[in-house]
Amino acid sequence: MSSSIIELRNVSKTYSTAAGDFIALTNVNMNILAGEFLGIVGKSGAGKSTLLNMINGVDQLSSGEVIVRADNENISIHTMSEDERARWRGKKMGVVYQSFQLLPMLTLIDNITLPMDLSDNYKPRESKERAMQLLQLMELEEHANKLPAFISGGQQQRVAIARALANDPPILVADEPTGSLDSITADHIFEVFEHLITDQGKTIVMVTHDVGLVSRFSRSLTIADGELLSESIPDTKLNHGRKK
Amino acid sequence: MRPRWRKVLHDLIDNKARTLLVVLSIAVGVFSIGVISGAYQIISNDMSVSYAANHPANVELRMANYNTDVLTSIHNAQGIGEAEGRRVNNFRVRAQGSDQWVALDVVALESFSKNQVNLLAPVSGAVEAGKDEILLEKDALKKLNAAVGENLTLELSDGTLKELKLVGIVQDVSTGAGDFLAPPFAYVVMKTLPTLRQPELFNRAYVTVAEGQDDIANIREVGTALKDRLDKNGTAVSRTRFSETHKHPLADTVNAILGILLALGILIVFLSSSLIANTLSALLSQHLRHIGVIKLVGGRNKQVFAMYLTLIMAFGVLALLIAVPLGGQGAYGLALFIANKLRFNLLGYRIVPMALMIQVAVGLLVPLVAGLAPVISGSRITVLRALSGDLAGDENKPQAGQPDRLPWFDYMLVRVTRILAMRGIHIPRPFIISLRNTFRRRGRLMLTLFTLTMGGAIFIAVFNVRVTLHDYIGAIGSYFRADVTVDFDKTYRLSEIQNFGLQVDGVERVEAWQFIGTELLYPDGAVADNLNMLAPPANSKLVNPIIVAGRWIRADDVRKFAVSEAILNFFPDLKPGDPIHLKIKGRTEVWEVVGIFKFVGREGILAYTPFEYSSQVLNLTNRSSSYRFVTTQHDRATQDLMAERLDHFFRGAGFKVRQAESGLASLDTASESLDTLVVFLLIMAILTAIVGAMGLTGTMGMNVLERTREIGIMRAIGADDRAVMRTVIAEGFVIGAMSFGLAIILSIPFTYLLSTIVSLAVFETPIDVVFTYMGYAIWFGLILVLSVVASILPARNAARLTIREVLAYE
Ligand SMILES: Nc1ncnc2c1ncn2[C@@H]1O[C@H](COP(=O)(O)OP(=O)(O)OP(=O)(O)O)[C@@H](O)[C@H]1O
Ligand SMILES: [Mg+2]
Repeated sequence: MSSSIIELRNVSKTYSTAAGDFIALTNVNMNILAGEFLGIVGKSGAGKSTLLNMINGVDQLSSGEVIVRADNENISIHTMSEDERARWRGKKMGVVYQSFQLLPMLTLIDNITLPMDLSDNYKPRESKERAMQLLQLMELEEHANKLPAFISGGQQQRVAIARALANDPPILVADEPTGSLDSITADHIFEVFEHLITDQGKTIVMVTHDVGLVSRFSRSLTIADGELLSESIPDTKLNHGRKK
Repeated sequence: MRPRWRKVLHDLIDNKARTLLVVLSIAVGVFSIGVISGAYQIISNDMSVSYAANHPANVELRMANYNTDVLTSIHNAQGIGEAEGRRVNNFRVRAQGSDQWVALDVVALESFSKNQVNLLAPVSGAVEAGKDEILLEKDALKKLNAAVGENLTLELSDGTLKELKLVGIVQDVSTGAGDFLAPPFAYVVMKTLPTLRQPELFNRAYVTVAEGQDDIANIREVGTALKDRLDKNGTAVSRTRFSETHKHPLADTVNAILGILLALGILIVFLSSSLIANTLSALLSQHLRHIGVIKLVGGRNKQVFAMYLTLIMAFGVLALLIAVPLGGQGAYGLALFIANKLRFNLLGYRIVPMALMIQVAVGLLVPLVAGLAPVISGSRITVLRALSGDLAGDENKPQAGQPDRLPWFDYMLVRVTRILAMRGIHIPRPFIISLRNTFRRRGRLMLTLFTLTMGGAIFIAVFNVRVTLHDYIGAIGSYFRADVTVDFDKTYRLSEIQNFGLQVDGVERVEAWQFIGTELLYPDGAVADNLNMLAPPANSKLVNPIIVAGRWIRADDVRKFAVSEAILNFFPDLKPGDPIHLKIKGRTEVWEVVGIFKFVGREGILAYTPFEYSSQVLNLTNRSSSYRFVTTQHDRATQDLMAERLDHFFRGAGFKVRQAESGLASLDTASESLDTLVVFLLIMAILTAIVGAMGLTGTMGMNVLERTREIGIMRAIGADDRAVMRTVIAEGFVIGAMSFGLAIILSIPFTYLLSTIVSLAVFETPIDVVFTYMGYAIWFGLILVLSVVASILPARNAARLTIREVLAYE
């Protein structure tokens, strides 16, 4: 069995609102394994996004621990400041949201180059080449110099994925990446993800409310009312060879 | 280019209207500061340099006729450098082919080539006049339409006419430099005096001190000693004037005025920075999502901060590119204008390094200071808030963590409309929407109101100041002005002048006034200053004094006088009833002060004593050389006509008339210089108004942008272009109307403040404030126009939005 790349220990999240405290996550324990395609499924309001934001460091947990073991480093996300988390996320974790979150004034190639520019991981020349390769991977190279507004939603989402891969992070987290796409386009996105796992050894965590997608993950967890319910390992091609 | 800098570049150029607004707001401040600080530097340097370059006299003495022997003795007196004797007579002069007489002071010099003091600079034609030739000071050309080569006609005191050939135009920046009211000058050589039926004797001395030329105490000491010696040796000195070589006599006034302008300039910078703060915080809140995205993909606070800081600095640099060249030009233009008005020269166009530095500092610091708070809070925002936050950043929209209730203003509005509706009054719905929008962003509304109100208040105050100053000049005029003043070259009996004068149609009354030239002495006998004592009949209606302390003169006053406030400069504790030492006709006498009245401090100390007593002092019972005429009508045209008529009449009857002047004539000069000042104040007021209008445009633009979705929905449910535009314009209108109400209130303290500062600078005395409806009316019209104009652009943009664009907007 692969080693765990992300470990959540007793993670809880409470939002304080005027109407009182609201518990969005209670004592979540989970291990995410290197190289797996983990699906987190649940109804709207179940706490999926909240959980994902604990993993990628966009939000701060209320109690518990989140430990990421990537590239021979052990990082405790919950102890870092917001600014440190941003820096770490830029290098180690690609993030994809349902609303693609591209910068509208930058061309596709510039959108993809941005994380490399911010992290200073690559020289300007290299980052440009790398962005172009990622666009090719997404089969969007002919649109490189277009603005996001001039391509379709599915294409924008692939640009967002390319941007998430810019600094070659070992982990990719995606919150409803196919949520606003039609099923054919969504299929294409899944193909990209599967390709990233098999060919590049990435670990992908994806959140969806669509139970119908469960069969596409190598493993999926169900969340309801802020608690992890069950685990299922469907029979998919990703799991061949892993299951007996 | 790296993508993050490319984003900054796009932020700069994609929204041109916003960039223009921010850049212009900064530029207005930089421009005004540049103009004023530049002009200040140029003037404070050139004014003294150009004044000093013409070897101005340190002491000017007005004396009885004297000859070259006396001049030699002046030259040899203790501490004297140069000394030059001149003869100055006032003549009526007219140009060839004109019948317009102009009073000129004709200055006779011994020799043009040996001229050492109060030098004449060539302008055109010859620099020396030979016998029966004349030079004109270039200012005289403003009144006299003459060209070099033509003849000028001079009217001599006995009424005969003489022609002198105009051979050149010169400039004399020293003689009469401190006197707003001095007549223009012309120059002849002494040899010409017989032609003008004048003795070849001097009546003025222009003297420099040998050392300490910039030490007013030394100049005063040397000058006073010289005067005493001359008096003792039998040459009466009627007036002395002291001035430093490197200080233009009007330097203090000009500096004070530039100081006022500078204060207004700083205010403009202040206002524009609040406008910039407004725009930048709106920009940052519109950019929240961008910041969230940047942080999501690994951007750190520092990087975000640097990006927005760069954006702000870019605004500053663009503003500098516009404002620095314009400011430099403006500074020189302003300096040139003031120099022309006050008759001094500039040393040529140049860039003032100090002003440039101030501009750069203002241009970079103002946006930095105004934008720092929004940029810091913007760059510190968490990804979660940035991405989840409502893009419009609507303050009153209930957000997570806020109780879900109606904002207070909306609540009020709903209540009020409901109550009104119950009584059958229906407020149009779009208007309610406008009102709600206006109050939605309270912080922004406050800043916009603040800028507009300040602009309006200053605008209104400037008009009040103008009326106040004119009113004051009018009050000053009432001290010693009749409808017509006729001065004769010799004294005549009052009864004689009355007999003749009352024959002239339109003359109602005649008064004889006398004049005693005296000197104010310190108790130890040292001369403090000249004191000009006028002697009208005690019951004269031609003086209407503003008494500050004590009383006005009475017919039975003996050795008593009323004196202007300027005396307090020398005797700060002076009270009515106090004794004062005066030097009158060479004798020291002790007089009693009966009252103190307001007057222009700059014009020296003025005093009044009754004619009844002055006739004893001067030994002229019922005789005088100066007569005041009251005419049946008091308008300017009648006064001019009557002056002409009296002049003719008395000359025709064989009287030796020196000049007949209408009452308002010399006040015009004073009003004119004040109007120049008012024009500058008005320019500053207009600049503040522009800043206010830009603030309003910006606010409207931001409001419209943030309401894009709402406007789309309005359109989707059937609102047409006009309805959308009307909503936006109504909003601008409400803001404009509110600011007008506030400006009315604020203009009152501003009027007092500005009037006091200006009158202290110009008249050296605080004055009574007068209000006029003019400024209010003009500003009301202007604010209506401004608020509509400021809303039109955003309104048109709003109307142009299609539903598709609105839905695409995010
Ligand atoms: N900032 C917040 N303040 C208060 N409550 C919040 C906040 N964010 C989320 N919640 C609450 O926490 C719960 C879980 O929210 P979350 O966004 O994780 O749900 P989700 O499973 O992602 O739903 P969806 O499928 O609709 O995206 C919800 O009930 C939500 O109302
Ligand atoms: Mg969600």
